[in-house]
Amino acid sequence: MNRIKGLIVKDLLQLKSYRKTLVTFIAVFIAVSFLDTNKESIETTIILMMTLGLGMFSIATFNYDEMAKADRYILTLPVNRKDIVLSKYILVVISTFVGAILGMILSVGMTYAIYQEIPEMMYLMSLAMGGIFGLGVVNAIQIPCIFKYGAEKGRIQRFIALAVICLMFYGIFYLFQRFNIHIEIQSTIDMVKNYSVIILIPTVLILYYVSYKISYMIYRKKEL
Amino acid sequence: MENVIEIKNLCKKYSEFELNNINLSLPKGTIMGLIGENGAGKSTTIKLMLNIIGKDSGTVSLFGLDSIKDGRKLKEDVGAVLDDSFLSEYLCPNDMNKIMKNFYNNWDEKLFFQYMDEFKLPRTQISKDYSSGMKMKLKIATALSHHPKLLILDEPTSGLDPVARNEILDIFQDFIQDEENSILVSSHITSDLEHIADYITFINEGEIVFTKSRDDLLEKYGIVKCSKSDFDKFDKKDYIKCKRNKYEYEVLVEDKAKFYKKYRTNVIDKPTIEEIMLIYIKGEK
Repeated sequence: MNRIKGLIVKDLLQLKSYRKTLVTFIAVFIAVSFLDTNKESIETTIILMMTLGLGMFSIATFNYDEMAKADRYILTLPVNRKDIVLSKYILVVISTFVGAILGMILSVGMTYAIYQEIPEMMYLMSLAMGGIFGLGVVNAIQIPCIFKYGAEKGRIQRFIALAVICLMFYGIFYLFQRFNIHIEIQSTIDMVKNYSVIILIPTVLILYYVSYKISYMIYRKKEL
Repeated sequence: MENVIEIKNLCKKYSEFELNNINLSLPKGTIMGLIGENGAGKSTTIKLMLNIIGKDSGTVSLFGLDSIKDGRKLKEDVGAVLDDSFLSEYLCPNDMNKIMKNFYNNWDEKLFFQYMDEFKLPRTQISKDYSSGMKMKLKIATALSHHPKLLILDEPTSGLDPVARNEILDIFQDFIQDEENSILVSSHITSDLEHIADYITFINEGEIVFTKSRDDLLEKYGIVKCSKSDFDKFDKKDYIKCKRNKYEYEVLVEDKAKFYKKYRTNVIDKPTIEEIMLIYIKGEK
């Protein structure tokens, strides 16, 4: 377990140089939120941006490793390829959850500061779950792409993979419309709100697990 | 003598390069220099030993343990320096310490910072701002600070000025003083190896040409400088290879005393490792 911890510590220390960017990022969203007049819009923006933002930041560690060709060196340490892949997924999951929790705390603080009200916790949680799920889908696709093609070279492949996913969703909505199947937006939101923990968390964990297996399969055979 | 490294029939094939049937042993308490031109297979051999790339066939054992099966365990006792790879340059020595102590049971924080002071490496400065020599010293200090028994070094002196190179070679010599530690070091700067290596292994085009003790190479080998007419008198089996220059022939012989006894040639020079390597690569039979 110490080895995984070492890899995560390495990634977190590498991200130190993003501290200023991260603080600016949070400050900008807080400032923008003060200008917003819609309470729900403030909550949504802060939670989603914090969840997505922090989750995306952790992906930058791939770039640092690639620039230093660090994977070769790391494999000279008492670490194996499985540890390297696993540590990346743990970091992404942790940073996404930390982003969601920070987003919720900030959202409560902001709503209270502007409206002197405490927002409904279930609503905030469902927003956070939505962010975690959305980023989970994106990461589950892009991380194996990064392991396969590299952080720099894999950008186009990641973009294509994400575009395909978007098109798939669009296609599904199109088919629903085509066959006159109506989706009740409000009832869908309510469902997510009420069952987000039961539905989205296991789904996102399964997505990450499958993605991890694919990444390890790719990375195990990769010539460094 | 106990061998720290044992490589048997190691093969690795790429589309344009093949490492063919490598056999190599490093006795405990010694330094072996791996020489050869760029692309000869030195780094590939090292990467295979450290499991960075997968082998096609053959076996690699370190400290008597299989490098794949027992990889994680045996790497506790190995310190490695790779020419083109390390942790991110956005990390400082303090960060390195925080990271490395998670990987090694024997990580010695005190020793690491002792090296930082000795090498004059600022603890809070990111290594991106270091000179090439400082970066290499940081790599070496990191490789030494968990008390390894074996150092595997890929081009540790390339790109360094003579002073930095000298300091680094001193570190290696200190490391093997107790005769328990060993070093395998690849370098195309053969003069460095003349100073520190006990054995020299020469790789050319993916194959091992020889493994010899440094003393044998420098004391027994000879380069005969002669004219074409003298050269024509030599029996092919009495020399290794010959390099034809514009005005003279350089003939590499394995035993200069024996050669002198037979041919009574006047000019037999003591070769450098670089000259031996050059005649092997450029010369002909």
